[in-house]
Amino acid sequence: MRRRTLTLLVVICLGHVMLISAQVQSKSGVPVIEDVAFGTLARVQGLAAGMADAVSSVWHGYFALHGAARDNAALRQRVVELEGELQAERAKSSRTGSLEEALNLQKSLAARTLAARVIAGNPSPGALTVTIDRGSDDGVEANMAVIAGRGVVGRVIGRPAAHAALVQLLIDRSAAAAALLEKSNSAGIVAGGDPGGRLRLELVSPLVKIDLGERVLTTGQDGIFPQGFLIGSVESIDGVGKDREISIRPSVDFTHIEVVLVVLDRRPSGHEQ
Amino acid sequence: MRLTTVLAAVLIAVVLQVTFARYTVGGRWAFDLVLVGVVYVALRWEAVAGMVAGTVGGLLQDMLSGGIIGVGGLAKTLTGFATGVVGTQFVVAKPHARAIIVGGATIFHRLIMLVLQGLIDQKWPGLPWTAMLGETAINSVCGFLAFHLSDALPGAMGRGRMSRRGSLGRRQW
Repeated sequence: MRRRTLTLLVVICLGHVMLISAQVQSKSGVPVIEDVAFGTLARVQGLAAGMADAVSSVWHGYFALHGAARDNAALRQRVVELEGELQAERAKSSRTGSLEEALNLQKSLAARTLAARVIAGNPSPGALTVTIDRGSDDGVEANMAVIAGRGVVGRVIGRPAAHAALVQLLIDRSAAAAALLEKSNSAGIVAGGDPGGRLRLELVSPLVKIDLGERVLTTGQDGIFPQGFLIGSVESIDGVGKDREISIRPSVDFTHIEVVLVVLDRRPSGHEQ
Repeated sequence: MRLTTVLAAVLIAVVLQVTFARYTVGGRWAFDLVLVGVVYVALRWEAVAGMVAGTVGGLLQDMLSGGIIGVGGLAKTLTGFATGVVGTQFVVAKPHARAIIVGGATIFHRLIMLVLQGLIDQKWPGLPWTAMLGETAINSVCGFLAFHLSDALPGAMGRGRMSRRGSLGRRQW
C-alpha cells in the first residue's frame, strides 16, 4: 500500500479526533457547519419525502381501495365516539375553569400548537431523531415540545432551519422528561435508551406503590413539556426497593409517526419560576 | 476514481437512508444505507475512495442527527478504508461475496461506534447483539441488491438497446 494513502488516512482520522474532542470539551456542536448542512439537506429530504408520499398516495388512492368502504364506516363511527368524548371533556374543562375561578388560581390555558409533517427519519441507526417540515420561519425554536394525538413525541433540538427542524424522540438514549405517576402522584424522570423502544422511569421513591398499567404524565417541571401530557403506562416492574426498574410503554407508536404537533408556547420550568 | 461519482453515490445513500428511515422510526429494524454506500464505493474504487466516501457520508450523518460531529465520520472513514483494503487483498467479484463484506463492515463499524461512544460518555454502553445482528442482515441484503443491480442494469440496458436496434432493422428490411 502506498505511503501517501496511509498518510491521508492518519490525517483524516486526526482531524476527526480533534473535531470530536473540541465538541466534547466545549459541550456544544459546530453551529455554522450544522446549520448549513441541515438547512440544505432538509430541502432534499422534503423533496424525497414528497416523492415517496406521491408514490404512496397513488398506491393507496387507486390500487388499495378495496377496504375503503369498511374503513369509512369505521371512521364515521370513531368520529361520533370522539365527538361524544369531546363533549365530555368540554364539560369537564368548564367545571375546572369554574373551580379555578372560585379558588382564584391562574387559568391553565391550552397550549398553542403547530402541525408538522415528518419528512425524514433518523440518518444513523444510533440516533433516534426525525426531521419535520416546520422551522424558524414558522416560529419553531429549540427545546419546544413535540406531541402527537396520543402523547409526547419528543423535543426540538439544535437550531431549526428556515423550513425544517430536528426532533429528538423521547425514546432516544439521551432524551428525558420530568414525569408523574397519575394514581400515586409521585414524580420521577422518564428516560429513553431502552433497546426495545421502551422508556425507563427513574428517581421514583422506592416506598411508592406502583400498579401495572398506571399512566405516566408530564409534570411540566422540565420547562419543555407542558404539564399533563400522556407519556405512557407502566408495563413492568422488576426488582424491589432501590433496585426497582420500572419500564414504561410509550403511548405514541414511534414506528408510525407521520404528523406531529409542535407546542409553540414555552413555559418556564418550576426552577425558573 | 472520480470524486464527483463517489460524492454522488454517498449523497444518494444519505437521501435513501433518511427517506426509508422515515417508515421505521423507533422500530426494531435498524439499517445504515450510508454504510452500504461507503462499502460499495470502497469495493468498486479501492481504499482511498472508501475513505473519502466514509468521511463525507459519516460527517453528513453526524450533522443531520444532531449528535457529536466526527464520531460517525471517524467510524465510517476507518470502515471504508478497511473495506477497500480487504477488497484489494481478496477476490470479491460476486454480489453474494460482496454482501458478506457489507455484513462484516457493519459489525466492524458498530463496534467502532460503541467504543467511541464509550470513550465519550466514559461509560461502556453494552453490546446490543440483536440490534447489531438485525442491522447486519438488512445491510447485507441491501448490499447484495445494490451490487447485483449495478452489475445487471448496464447489461440489461445494453441488451434492450440491441433488441430495439434488431427489430428496427428487421422492419426496415
